Amino acid sequence: MRISTRGRYSLEALVYLALLPEGAFASTRAISENTGISDGYLEQLFIPLRKAGIVRGIRGAQGGYLPGREAKAITVGDVLRAVEGSLEPVACLSSNTCPAEAKCITRHTWDQLYHEITDCVDSIAIADLVEAYGKLDEESYSI
Amino acid sequence: MKISTRGRYGIRLMIDLAEHSSEPHVALANIAERQNISARYLEQVAVILRRAGYIRSVKGASGGYSLSREPREIVIGDALRVLEGDLLVVDELRPGETENRIQRCIRQMVYNRLNKRIAAVVDRITLASMLGTVDSDESYIYFI
Repeated sequence: MRISTRGRYSLEALVYLALLPEGAFASTRAISENTGISDGYLEQLFIPLRKAGIVRGIRGAQGGYLPGREAKAITVGDVLRAVEGSLEPVACLSSNTCPAEAKCITRHTWDQLYHEITDCVDSIAIADLVEAYGKLDEESYSI
Repeated sequence: MKISTRGRYGIRLMIDLAEHSSEPHVALANIAERQNISARYLEQVAVILRRAGYIRSVKGASGGYSLSREPREIVIGDALRVLEGDLLVVDELRPGETENRIQRCIRQMVYNRLNKRIAAVVDRITLASMLGTVDSDESYIYFI
């Protein structure tokens, strides 16, 4: 049931971008230095993320990336689906091509699992992660 | 975010055994045919389930497998953990392994929550409730 490396790195990059001041953008090199994700990998991830409108690219030598829309309008589910594809726990749920579908006993269980996963990741916005990040900060200073 | 083939086939193997529990044991070849799964692959899955005490084997020419527990005592979450290793969405931090503040934030806010919600679903379903022989809500109360 693992989230792929693509999914994890995309979330980390998105939180980093959302932590930047309003309207600011960062080069893949800067993102790489701050997250530890190689800039080659970031460039790869930003292709589907840009297509989905989750990040926006600024061209040019001084270019970079910023969130494609407000952080409260980007959910964890949006990010994961953009780089992982469907989040269904088994491939047969949305395809409707399985000949045994009508009498499949396990389908209902996988369906419930899918519903729970979707409900969870779609209820967490990148803005929520930014807020939690801030609180984490205070906690570690207060220790 | 996928349940592995091993996990899916393992559950189907136990469902088939439960459906044929009137027979003393069922040959793997028959299950493979009914479930349209390769017998060789099913054998690997059966080994895991036997070692974990979910099924028992009867040796010999007319041998096969049977469930070694009642379907209502087989929690799907436990069986999946045996088949899959675990049901976590990310690896746990190894001792001494560190993570940065962004990673810690995402772990607490996303991964830990997802793990809990996934566990809550599969831990309230038993093989019996999956088969519809017991109402799932009833078995839930029963197990508390």
